[in-house]
Amino acid sequence: MFCYQCEQTTRLPSGDGCASAKGLCGKDATTADLQDLLVHAVKGVAQQARRARALGVPDHEAGAFMLHALFTTLTNVNFNPTRFVTLLNEAAAVRDRVKARCEAAPNAATIAAPTGPAIEWTPAADLEGLLVQAAAVPVNAGLAEVGEDVVGLRALILYGMKGVAAYANHAAVLGYTRDTVFAGVEEAMDFLASDPTDVPTLLDRALSVGRLNLEVMELLDAANTGRFGTPCPTAVRVAPVAGKAILVSGHDLGDLEALLKQTAGKGINVYTHGEMLPAHSYPTLKAYPHLVGNYGGAWQDQQTDFANFPGPILMTSNCIIEPGPRYRQRIFTAGPVGWPGLRHLTDHQFGPLVAAALALPGFKADEPEQTITVGFGRDAVLGVAGAVIDAVKAGDIRHFFLIGGCDGAASGRNYYSDFATGAPDDTVVLTLGCAKYRFNRHEFGAIGGIPRLLDLGQCNDSYSAIRIAGALAEAFDCSVNDLPLSLVVSWFEQKAAAVLLTLLALGIRNIRLGPTLPAFITPNVLATLVDGFGIQPITNAQDDIAAALNRAA
Amino acid sequence: MSVHSIALLTRDGERLSFPCAEDQSLVEAAAAVDLFLPVVCREGGCGACRATAQEGEYHLGPHSSAALSAEDAERRTILLCRTYPRGPMSVGAPFDRSRILSQAVRPRGGAVTELTLVGERTVRLCLELEDEGEGRAAEFEAGQYMELEIPGEGVRRAYSLANTANWDGALEFLIRLQPQGRFSGYLERRAKIGDRVLTHGPLGGFTLQEHGLRPRWFVAGGTGLAPMLSMLRRMADYQDPQPARLYFGVNRESELFALDELGRLAEELPGFTLIPCVWRAGEGWQGFRGTPADAVRADLAALGVAPDLYTCGPPALIDAVERAAREQGVPDSHLFSERFLPSVA
Repeated sequence: MFCYQCEQTTRLPSGDGCASAKGLCGKDATTADLQDLLVHAVKGVAQQARRARALGVPDHEAGAFMLHALFTTLTNVNFNPTRFVTLLNEAAAVRDRVKARCEAAPNAATIAAPTGPAIEWTPAADLEGLLVQAAAVPVNAGLAEVGEDVVGLRALILYGMKGVAAYANHAAVLGYTRDTVFAGVEEAMDFLASDPTDVPTLLDRALSVGRLNLEVMELLDAANTGRFGTPCPTAVRVAPVAGKAILVSGHDLGDLEALLKQTAGKGINVYTHGEMLPAHSYPTLKAYPHLVGNYGGAWQDQQTDFANFPGPILMTSNCIIEPGPRYRQRIFTAGPVGWPGLRHLTDHQFGPLVAAALALPGFKADEPEQTITVGFGRDAVLGVAGAVIDAVKAGDIRHFFLIGGCDGAASGRNYYSDFATGAPDDTVVLTLGCAKYRFNRHEFGAIGGIPRLLDLGQCNDSYSAIRIAGALAEAFDCSVNDLPLSLVVSWFEQKAAAVLLTLLALGIRNIRLGPTLPAFITPNVLATLVDGFGIQPITNAQDDIAAALNRAA
Repeated sequence: MSVHSIALLTRDGERLSFPCAEDQSLVEAAAAVDLFLPVVCREGGCGACRATAQEGEYHLGPHSSAALSAEDAERRTILLCRTYPRGPMSVGAPFDRSRILSQAVRPRGGAVTELTLVGERTVRLCLELEDEGEGRAAEFEAGQYMELEIPGEGVRRAYSLANTANWDGALEFLIRLQPQGRFSGYLERRAKIGDRVLTHGPLGGFTLQEHGLRPRWFVAGGTGLAPMLSMLRRMADYQDPQPARLYFGVNRESELFALDELGRLAEELPGFTLIPCVWRAGEGWQGFRGTPADAVRADLAALGVAPDLYTCGPPALIDAVERAAREQGVPDSHLFSERFLPSVA
């Protein structure tokens, strides 16, 4: 295997990347290699689908397949090699079906049929054969011929596209799809299928991925708010209450809603975990009285949190890590998620989960009440924009810090809690993603009634952050880069890569990125990003806060 | 006494290390740092803790040749409970990290709910776990086993579970009555519905592997059927896509049992084939005549596939099946087995 898609990838003087029998995320070599081959297969689907679109017979089933397939290859999503073998066979079938549609189109002769290895690939009959095929298409293929900058930029585009696919899949399962998004996915994966080598073109395409992701996040925002209402500030209980219990993790609000319906009136309390926390702020979801609270910390604490949770757990999307023996029989997967030996539930058929909840003991007693407040989406924040603007003009709010992104186990991530808690009292901290679990129980206080910590939601609610920044810039008649706003981004996986590309595509400068820089960003590419966008690695919280305030002053 | 560093590499690639003195077995040394390896008898008798010494010198304590043959020992196969290091060692384990527990298993009481003779000298024993405040859930991986404690005697015997994990606390075992067996004696003479039996587990690493769509062939000798039934039932529950077949070997037709359950599985699990193998079949027997090893050899040759092969039963059966598989080019990485050996004393 060779994989360097996440932040925790192996870093060695001889070269970065996980390249042994097992990656640091727990993904074994077989699964990693099958994921590489699936990416290759998706390129073939994209090539055919792009031609179909040009011929006027776009194929949205192929589009939906690509989103789901790419999502399964994100960090901490699917670890089950059997699932990948099935997906590989499906990919070939989808590609060939689209090909047949193209050939049946009356104008088929007007556009040449695509060619290349992803078009010609036929899945081998057995696992051994697939692994031989995978060996030809690692993410760093062609390194000796094209060099590390080209390979790294291809990886940046691919990983950005994985993030795009994940967000678009979240929207699609809620019933929201868009032609232009499918077209964008086809185009980007088709571009990668051409094994591009021109560095300026690759950089330009990476920013296109960022623009596509902005549209996707807007679509997902429409899906979430369209289905569940506009988030509003909501106090969420973070202490258990007595009774039977189910814990829901991941990002899929549709899964949560279906489960809330199926557990209504059954005496089962439902808790959110990790990135599901913002669910409490959506009117349709918070209307269920048995959605009682949030449990546990960020994803990397799950082995302890899940082992101590006295009920079953549903993992709806990333991030799953190896289930410990104490909860292995009572954790279920859904959607793109998988782990060998775990029960996978499809089509919202949560019966086994409900049965498990009724059989398991649940919490025996209420724990002392403790709450955190979530739900400061763009509507909530812009609803008090007048007060915010006045506070800035009066000097009561000196600066905004957006501290967002993923959490992780690395010790360097203390930077983000140090940063949030060390931000001066006349500054406001906006947050999103799961990095906030490092500081969201800290007492931040308020400035003139405006809470100093505003939780915008999941990582994909970066869209809200962008809209808020845009509205503030308009109000102050300046560009976003001229606002008293600093972005401090904590990345871990490929959704964050997509969001980062979006921020760059919007021209947002001086982002602090950490805890370490992506292994696939080479020194030359980094130099370009520093020159073009002022991207900076994090140093230490105190110095970075001071630097941000000085720059603004 | 020298203490050596032991590196244990699990099947799924995790690397664990712990110190081990020369008079400590690897199992004891691992337990000292709260790593509880999958073992059964702890005295070299069952073969449940077989592993491979990849590097380093060691002393292998007394053990049954059925659990570890001289030939296997020559190939540096070891029993973790009988291995005493003589220098730093690197050991390859045939089980995943998740099979190593970080705390000793808490015993749970269960009431006997069924005690039925289902074949010649084969008993189905069902227990229902008590709710001791944590719910009744019977949480285990298909293919694992429990140790059952004979009421009033404190003696434990290991038996594979035949059912799948459930929330009702149901445990099902298929137990061969041994002429001099302690647990057999209890079952034959004293056991009754409602008896309280203490259970220890689940234990063991003989569980289903995810290797893509590679066919899964199960080979059972006698009550070696139990873990196979568990795995096949789980495959049916999950609707696993791999084609599966079961070679169920007995000496005479009258020893076949659980055919109703296996028939139901054929309905619930698409792609499942049952192949009863009777060694000394009577004249009326229409099925395969011979041992499961004979049947597996013939089918591997005829079909030209290299399936994952799960074998459970007496060591002689396992050795014969695995020999047949190797002859037909099935790699060792496709072979999984659990040896059933009668306990001594």
